[in-house]
This record gives sequence, structure tokens and C-alpha cells, in this order.
Amino acid sequence: MSNPVVEASPAAPAVTWQEGEALARKASARTRRKRLALLTAGWAAMFLIWQLAAYYLPFGVLPAPLEVGEVMWDIVVSGAFAENFFASVGKTFLGFVVATAVGAPIGYLMGRYDYWKAFFHDGVTVAGTIPALTYAVLSLIIFGISDLGPILSVALVSVPFVAINVAEGVRGVDQSLVRMSQAFGRSSRQIRREVFVPTLVPYVFAAIRMSFAVAWKVEALTEVFGGKNGVGFQIRSEYQLFNIDGVLAWMCLFIIFMLIVERLVLRKLENRVLAWRPEERVGK
Amino acid sequence: MAVLTVNDLCKTFGAGTARSNRVLDHISFDVRGQTFVSIVGPSGCGKSTLLNIISGVETHTSGAISVTSDDGRPARLGYVFQDPRLLPWRTVRKNMMYVQDKDDEVTRGRVDRYLDMVGLGKHGDFWPGQLSGGMQQRVGIARAFAVEPDLLIMDEPFSHLDAITARGLRAQLQDIWAQSKKTVVFVTHDVVEAVELSDRIIVLQPGGRIYEDITIDLPRPRRQSDPAVATLQAEVLARLEKMKAMTPQVAASV
Repeated sequence: MSNPVVEASPAAPAVTWQEGEALARKASARTRRKRLALLTAGWAAMFLIWQLAAYYLPFGVLPAPLEVGEVMWDIVVSGAFAENFFASVGKTFLGFVVATAVGAPIGYLMGRYDYWKAFFHDGVTVAGTIPALTYAVLSLIIFGISDLGPILSVALVSVPFVAINVAEGVRGVDQSLVRMSQAFGRSSRQIRREVFVPTLVPYVFAAIRMSFAVAWKVEALTEVFGGKNGVGFQIRSEYQLFNIDGVLAWMCLFIIFMLIVERLVLRKLENRVLAWRPEERVGK
Repeated sequence: MAVLTVNDLCKTFGAGTARSNRVLDHISFDVRGQTFVSIVGPSGCGKSTLLNIISGVETHTSGAISVTSDDGRPARLGYVFQDPRLLPWRTVRKNMMYVQDKDDEVTRGRVDRYLDMVGLGKHGDFWPGQLSGGMQQRVGIARAFAVEPDLLIMDEPFSHLDAITARGLRAQLQDIWAQSKKTVVFVTHDVVEAVELSDRIIVLQPGGRIYEDITIDLPRPRRQSDPAVATLQAEVLARLEKMKAMTPQVAASV
């Protein structure tokens, strides 16, 4: 009869707290470097394909990246970039303001009351699936060639995003926190400010992020058809001159600008406002 | 002086309908100031309903209930829930301040003092998400004490914690209570916990009547390891077993 002997496993080498911290830091630096390398490789591959395509396609179909780069540089240096982008950004921003003013109350009603949910649900869903082009055309018919067209089309395309997300946020409010607040005698104003608004903030950010990408496109599109200035207008002008360099240059500037706004401005702002979320802290 | 007076209280859900269900049946008791009273009973005996009526969340069908303060101003209630119920987007200290009526030096000092008492004096600027479940519940307890309530209501505050954490928190609760001497109504289904903490245990039976009103006269601080505590726990448990035997129609789990 032999009892099973439990042998102590050989002790892992002792690591001090500082050593552990240093190891973890090194590992996360390694992940960061790897991600950066992949990103660079992706961009390099894209430029290479573009360069090769420009070389093998018949002359004049696709200009090489460097040529487009030169035109981009000219646009930026001449001041046309700043002028037209500010025009477009201004219109998009105004469209967002209108969309929030209309969409947020609709979303609040939908999230709070079944009656209003039934009332708005189909309309909002349908509005969200209508192609952005339709809104662009509609805005042009209503306002003709003016700044109001792009503003209206941005507003129309963003309202469903804002409404659906705010409704989701209102439904996501933790009722046990509301009851806790009531039990401690908090006023409905305090409950709105301390429970409802903080719950809604992430949803509103999601709405802005989602509608931002679509709103920009429809804004530019409306300008193509009926703008007086702005990025879309410039793309159309170059198109009328059969100037592919110009079209591509404006397009690239447009993409770069969007990436900067999305990655830097919105993401940074979101991380700051939502610092309390555990998943936000992990990345830091 | 009685802080909480419950007189001939009845509660019937769906009164006058075919599904009429009486959950509290002519209940009367007083809770004197500075005492720790537990309400114990199997699931479905009306503990939660009684608590909801005391806190004003639910109305009663007949009878009277009143909470009074020492000095005539409206009585202030403090709550500890089963879960911590902290605002995740506010730091620990801001969570404590949220339920305070004033934001002055005295209040901030009091909040910090209670945080110290639950051993979280250094965690005031942490987000709740950075704390363990037990630590969050300690914040919940500190928050309730820090409003200096006339009556502190605790609704099974340790039932979601593991045994070791719960034991530590019970010891801590006794210390804070000994220092602050608040009037506490503590609801639990755990008799052992009730004996360790209370001056008095009110046992509810299925159907919503008071089965027994037991005075616990043991010196404090009490610890679970104390033989006198263990003896009394066994005795109270035996009495509840008897009650359970008398009401076999209800699958009671005491």
C-alpha cells in the first residue's frame, strides 16, 4: 500500500515586482512595434500596387502616386485646401448639430416610452436604409445650388444613427442605480445628470463615429452635384477638366483628413471622457 | 424612543381579485434607537415586501408605519443593497458625495472618516471598476453610514459575497456600528449571520406573521469562533427547524 505522493513542483524562479513590471512593459512595447510594422507594410504594399498599376495601364488612365503627391502639395500650399476643407467641415458640423437636435429627442422618446417606440420605429429604420444618394438629390431639389443642400443631406443621413443610439442608451440605463438614487432621496434633476447622461455619452459617441463616415461622404457627394465650394465641388471642377491628377489629389487629401479626425480627434476625446471604463484603461 | 414603529401592518397583493395574496399579516413591532435588529425568514415570508414598505417604495394595504428622527426633522434613511450599486463613472469619493445633501468641509471630512473605517481611505480616487466586489460593497456600507441616517436599512448585503469576504465584512460592520450606534434593520435569510450581528431577531414565517421575537444578549464584539455565539446560533437554528416542521406546505429554506 502506497499512498500517492504529491511532489512539490519545482518553484518558478522568483520575480520581483519591479522585474515583473519591466517584463510587462517590454511585452507591450513589442506588441506596439509589431503593430506599427504591420501598418507600415500595409501602406507600402498599397503604394507599390498603385505604382505598378500606373506603370502598366495605358498612359493617362492612372497617374503615379508621386504625381498625385505633387498636385496635393500644390493644393495645400496654394491655400485652396484650407479654404475648401473648412467650408466642408463647417457644413458637416452644422448638419450634425441639426441631426442631434432632431435625433436625440426622438431617440429619448423611443427609449423611454413604448408608444413612441412604436410610432417612430419603422420610420427611423426605413430612413436609415435609404441610400445616401437619395438624400443628396432630395436636398438639391429643395435648395438648389447653395450651402443648405449639403447641411440638410448630412442631417438627414445622421438623424437615424443618433436616434437609434440614443434610444439604445436610454434603454441601457441601469434601473438599480435609479432606484438607489431615489432611495437616497436624490432629485430627478440629479438622477438625470448623474445617471442618465453618463450612460448616454458612450452611445452618443458611437452615433457620431458611425454617422461621421457616412455624413462626410454624402456631404461631399452633395457638393459634387450642387455645391458652391468645398471638397466635393473641387472634385467636380477637376472632373470637368478631365484632370485625373486633381480628382485623385483631392480624394487622397479627403481620406487623410478623415483619418486624422477619426483617429486623433474623436478617439482621443472618447478615451478622455470614458476614462472610467475598465476597457479604456487597458490600452494605456 | 422608537425610531421605527410598525403597527398592525398588512399587505395584500391583488386585493379583491381571485389571485389575492396576503404577504404580511397583522405585523406589529417597534425598533428602539441605536439597536441592531435583524429580520429573518425563509424565502417568500415577506421580508423584502416589509423592507420596501419601510423605505416607501411600496404601499401597505392597512395598518401604520412610521420612521421618526430625534429632532423632528424628516427622518433620513440609509441603504445598503445586495449589490454595491455604485456609479461606475464616478470615483469612490464622488460616489459617497453623490448621496450627501451638502458639499462642505464637514461632509467631506465625514465621508473620508467612513472610508477610513472600512479600510478604503487610500481608495477615494479609484473608479469602482478598479475595486473587487467585496471592496465595492464596503464602499456601499460606508456610503450608507456617511449620510448619518436615522434608520439604516440593509438588504442581505453579504449574500453575493464569498464566505471569507462576508466574514471579514461582518466583523467590520460590527466595528462601524459600535462606533456610530446607528439604528439598523438588517434583512437576511442567514440565521448564523443574524445571531452574530444583532441585538434582536424578528423571525417571519411563511404567510407573513411574526413567528418569534428573540433578544440576543451576548457581549460585543462577537466573533463567529466564539463558543457562546456558536451555541446560540445552534439554538436559534433549532427553533427555526421547528417552525419549518410546523409549516410543511411551504418549501422553506432557512
